[in-house]
Amino acid sequence: MSLLQVRDLHTHFISRNLDNEIRVAKALNGVSFEVSRGEVLGLVGETGAGKSLTAYSVMDLLKPPAKVVGGTVEFDGRNLRDLEAEDMNKLRGSEIAMVVQNPRSSLDPLTRVGEQLIRVHTAHTDTSESAARARAIEKLGAVGIPAPEQRMRAWPHELSGGMAQRVLIAMALMNEPKLIIADEPTTGLDVTVQAQILDLLRELVVTHNVAAMVITHDLGIVAHYCNRMAVMFAGRIVETGDVETVFDNPSHPYTRTLIASTPERLKEGKQKVLGGGAPPNLYNLPPGCHYVERCRFADESCNKPLSLDQVGDGHFAMCTRLDAVREGWPS
Amino acid sequence: MLMRRLVLAIPLLIGILFFTFMLIRLGGQDPVGLLAGPTATTEEIEIVRAELGLDKPLFTQFWLFLGDVVQGDIGKSWISNRSVTLDILERIPITLELLLWGVALGSVIGVPVGLRAAFRHDKWFDHISRGISLLGFSIPTYFLALLLLFVFFFLLGWSPPGMGRISLLISPPPTVTGSYLIDGLLAGDLEVARSAVAQLILPIIAVAIISAAPIVKHTRAIALEIISSDFVRFARASGLPSEKVSRIVLKNSSTPVTTFIGTELTGLVGSVSLIEFVFAWGGVGQYGLNAIIRGDFAAVQGYVLFLALFSLVVFIIVDLLVLVLEPRAVAE
Repeated sequence: MSLLQVRDLHTHFISRNLDNEIRVAKALNGVSFEVSRGEVLGLVGETGAGKSLTAYSVMDLLKPPAKVVGGTVEFDGRNLRDLEAEDMNKLRGSEIAMVVQNPRSSLDPLTRVGEQLIRVHTAHTDTSESAARARAIEKLGAVGIPAPEQRMRAWPHELSGGMAQRVLIAMALMNEPKLIIADEPTTGLDVTVQAQILDLLRELVVTHNVAAMVITHDLGIVAHYCNRMAVMFAGRIVETGDVETVFDNPSHPYTRTLIASTPERLKEGKQKVLGGGAPPNLYNLPPGCHYVERCRFADESCNKPLSLDQVGDGHFAMCTRLDAVREGWPS
Repeated sequence: MLMRRLVLAIPLLIGILFFTFMLIRLGGQDPVGLLAGPTATTEEIEIVRAELGLDKPLFTQFWLFLGDVVQGDIGKSWISNRSVTLDILERIPITLELLLWGVALGSVIGVPVGLRAAFRHDKWFDHISRGISLLGFSIPTYFLALLLLFVFFFLLGWSPPGMGRISLLISPPPTVTGSYLIDGLLAGDLEVARSAVAQLILPIIAVAIISAAPIVKHTRAIALEIISSDFVRFARASGLPSEKVSRIVLKNSSTPVTTFIGTELTGLVGSVSLIEFVFAWGGVGQYGLNAIIRGDFAAVQGYVLFLALFSLVVFIIVDLLVLVLEPRAVAE
């Protein structure tokens, strides 16, 4: 059984224009995926595909005009969408922890690092202040921060980006979460620090037996640190499967484009980048495949409603022109 | 930090003195004709001019003036023939009493309203408080003062007439601080204190209204920015209870709001003169306004110097407050 099962999640931005007409931007259009304990799922796609929105929809942290309008989020046997706001808040930071982009600006600038770790723990448990303190020092040590006791007294602005991200990871671990959602955890960090942070995350997934979801636009990260991957495009998952399977046998033309666009492949000079361009207009999406405007294999069959179909062992893709793509893709 | 600010203030003050000195003299007002009287002959006028030192070149005049200022002598008012320094020192507590009570009341109302508006973003409380604050922004200061007098003195009769700081029938208390209210209390004379309070209420409300409007607007903007910051978002994602999240917002708003109220104070010390005028308050503001109207060079100079020094003192106090509010600033 998977720990987190998201089924047919729909999130819309509902607003009114100047003529007071209701306008709906369909940002998530039936997102389905699952994550199990001990595995890392990579959610990959271009900016605006809905990766972060998926995470915030799962966490119930959307702000108007964004709203989840359909689907189920099953976590550890409960449907999170049925939970009261207060119960959901208890879950956040304890059973589901988040590691975010911009770690330095995500720490409260006027509170010492240690206090922030402690308050995340005491907010969710009845632990005493001193026990929480000991735990905070232990977790800072566990994420590889040298001299954790001294670091407890540090102010957020005294930390480097990499240090701050370690602190956020330590904070995520404070309440022994079952799931860690990492939203672009290494954007803005040096490449060497990136590798350290991701190694750490992966190691924690194994040692603590948690499930992790890593949101990124970097296929390299997916290839190196994830077990399974899901490729998002315009509010849908267009392909998902084990990382090796998808990389060896990409089926959806968008996945192929992404893989062909990685620096290693471009350097080989064999593959051409096809299907670039802007994301589709979320106010007026095509009736069938969302990728149709950028796809050179599109025909009239692409305008029919489509589903995520099995193309291999645990490997699914949302495309009606799989054969044409396989044959016609320039090698 | 404090020393540096003080040292940097010296050239600033000299610059302010220089520009006001030149501006009033190039403004086309000639006090000599006024002082010599309409029947004065040309020779008499020239004698007066020489007495005032106005026959010397402008830069020489400024140099001499600067020498006097360093010794604490801003000059003599050509109208009252009294020392401007003494005139102003005497009136400072009078203006401060009005200004500080007014801004304190404005902040006590404005800060919570602004915060609540931010927490209730786009709800009815937010819309209404924004509408009212816009009204406070748009109403001219002197008109507001007149309107208050019209309604509360003339129509309702709740307030005494706006004729100074104490009823004409009561003799002022012996001067200790210069505030009739405090001095009355110090002298144990409750009747004096009561009269002083009655006279204070309307002008204080006027200052409170014109200060609360921008305080609401800026407090709301500051809090909204912090509410949408990464760290508040992350605090929510960490499942902190909403009271704790609110406390993070309050803590992080306190410094910018304090700084804003300080800035606000330095602006209001100028506009309060119109309120003083309407209520015949007799503070520095009214003194300065009269000086400008009558071309009383030394008094104008003294007024501007007061404004500059007041701003300097306020900013220093704000800096000290920030040291208290911001643990980081102490650490560095």
